[in-house]
Amino acid sequence: MIAFRDILIFAGLAALAAAVIASLFPAGEGASPVPACSDCAFKLTGGYWIRQYGNYASLYLGTREVARYGWAYRADEGRPLKIGENATCSPAMYLWVFGGVAYVSCDGSSPRFGRDVLGPKLPFVNITTSSDWRSCTYTYRFDANLTERYVVTVDVYDEEGRLVFSGTTTIPGSVSFSIPMAGVYRVHIYAPPLLDEWHTLIARISITDLVRAQVFTSNNTEDLRPSTSLKIFDLTNYWKKGYTSVTVQVNPAGASYTLSAPTGAFADFLLAWEDCHNCDPTNGALYIDEVWRITFTQYIVLTRISSQGGYWHEVYVLDGQAYNLPGRKTLIWTWNKEGPKYNSFTVPWFVTTVWFESPDSTMNARATFIKVC
Amino acid sequence: MWSLAYGLIALAVVAFVVLYAAAHAPNFKTVNLADQLYGAKKWLAEYLPSFPKVDVKSRFRVFVNVVRVVKANATAYDYVAKQWVTFPVYLPVGYRLERAGESVVYQVYLNVTRCRNATLQGGTAAMLYEVELKHSLDPLPWLEVYAAVPRNITQYYSWLYNYYTVSRRSPAVGLALSVDANVGFMELVKVEWALVHNATSGVTMLYVAAPPSALYILVVDYPLKVPLACPQRR
Repeated sequence: MIAFRDILIFAGLAALAAAVIASLFPAGEGASPVPACSDCAFKLTGGYWIRQYGNYASLYLGTREVARYGWAYRADEGRPLKIGENATCSPAMYLWVFGGVAYVSCDGSSPRFGRDVLGPKLPFVNITTSSDWRSCTYTYRFDANLTERYVVTVDVYDEEGRLVFSGTTTIPGSVSFSIPMAGVYRVHIYAPPLLDEWHTLIARISITDLVRAQVFTSNNTEDLRPSTSLKIFDLTNYWKKGYTSVTVQVNPAGASYTLSAPTGAFADFLLAWEDCHNCDPTNGALYIDEVWRITFTQYIVLTRISSQGGYWHEVYVLDGQAYNLPGRKTLIWTWNKEGPKYNSFTVPWFVTTVWFESPDSTMNARATFIKVC
Repeated sequence: MWSLAYGLIALAVVAFVVLYAAAHAPNFKTVNLADQLYGAKKWLAEYLPSFPKVDVKSRFRVFVNVVRVVKANATAYDYVAKQWVTFPVYLPVGYRLERAGESVVYQVYLNVTRCRNATLQGGTAAMLYEVELKHSLDPLPWLEVYAAVPRNITQYYSWLYNYYTVSRRSPAVGLALSVDANVGFMELVKVEWALVHNATSGVTMLYVAAPPSALYILVVDYPLKVPLACPQRR
């Protein structure tokens, strides 16, 4: 039966035998053998040195010649050794061999093949811009062929010349900022002495696909039937100018709606719709059958302000969109009939379409709102 | 029991020999210059269409990995609006390219200095391109030059116009999207070329005799394909 003690003894004996055998080798010789290869790189430790002769170069270990090469070059300078010149490195020599020619390097840096034919190579910076439409976040990416680190500053000014964002990064790097409100912005990018550029950013709501709808930026009291049943009033500029509330007149009778400034809105619109092409007289209740407000924040919020009239109404929005998925035309409000009654509805997307419909289909209107950043 | 002891000792001997051999065997790293060179050229080929385009000569002289271009107008047929349109394009006329592998520095400088009509010996007309060529490595025995003759120039420019309407940036002839995408519209004709080295100035000129109908020439240092156009024409 082998006891644990016996195993210990055997292991000790084994170690002793290994030590004895090891001592028989030329211990501590310290020099690594030279591989015979081409198109290769290796490291030699020990007293290796190279001497250049008239038609070949010899690699010596001490006084013993161990290899011959066609010629020897210094890898760092790229110059060949002169005849009779020696090259040595301590503690280690790095040798590259290509086609029988040796390149000697002391610090392990590779020799470079290829002359410089281009001359000056000034730095340049590549600026790429990307944006996220939902949050209206812009990212400026800076890439360059620089060896030093430069700090680049990005300043963003609004239409009034006010600084709305300032950020710095080092190249390569990126700066991100979000645009708070629709408008035209000037972006100043500077990193002296490399860069001093101005860019223009336009963040806005694009209103397209208009059916019997028209966009106004101030009061409109005209009777525009039959071509226009939906008046869209763009209020964004008033909020930008710092108004706390705005009164919008929508028809000849002077019907008006007073709206107070939304907080943190990207854009804001009042929608005023007429449901009938001949019933409401010019001085009567025009363009007030459905009055809605559409406010863009990170999402799109629709709020009902007023409804009236004898016809039934249906208000639809395009909802339920996601990446690569189409939205659904969703009924959110009905008047004078059974159906959903949302006084407020949120579309968690950056684009939507609004429909207003009534029994008088010649007044049905539609508009698509797209946040463009 | 003693056989086990001998076994352990033998094991120690074997382990020692293996470790000693492993530690002292000549070991080296292979360095493949051809692969490095291929990698450098492939990288340049891949990024060529996205390199900055400069139309100012002073900038071309100091930047690296840039394309010198000349602005020109092209006429295309807009299939959507059903009318002829004129839009700006860039003609690539020079390159300063550099990419370094671990041990290889690949640099190439190409610049069209002149482009003129010439008559070949057989009496055929040709467009003679004079291209300045500097190369960091020794002359290029593998250099190939093709002339790109458009199969249907209207179709090609209409394709470029599409690209222009989408990106709102002037496309470069031969470089829009990718070099191969442009080549798809072209008949590539192998052309005669000559390298002439002037020992006094140290400049090598590449002379290319292309058919007059060629839109540009394609200098191929495989896998790098570089389109060069005539600065004065079209």
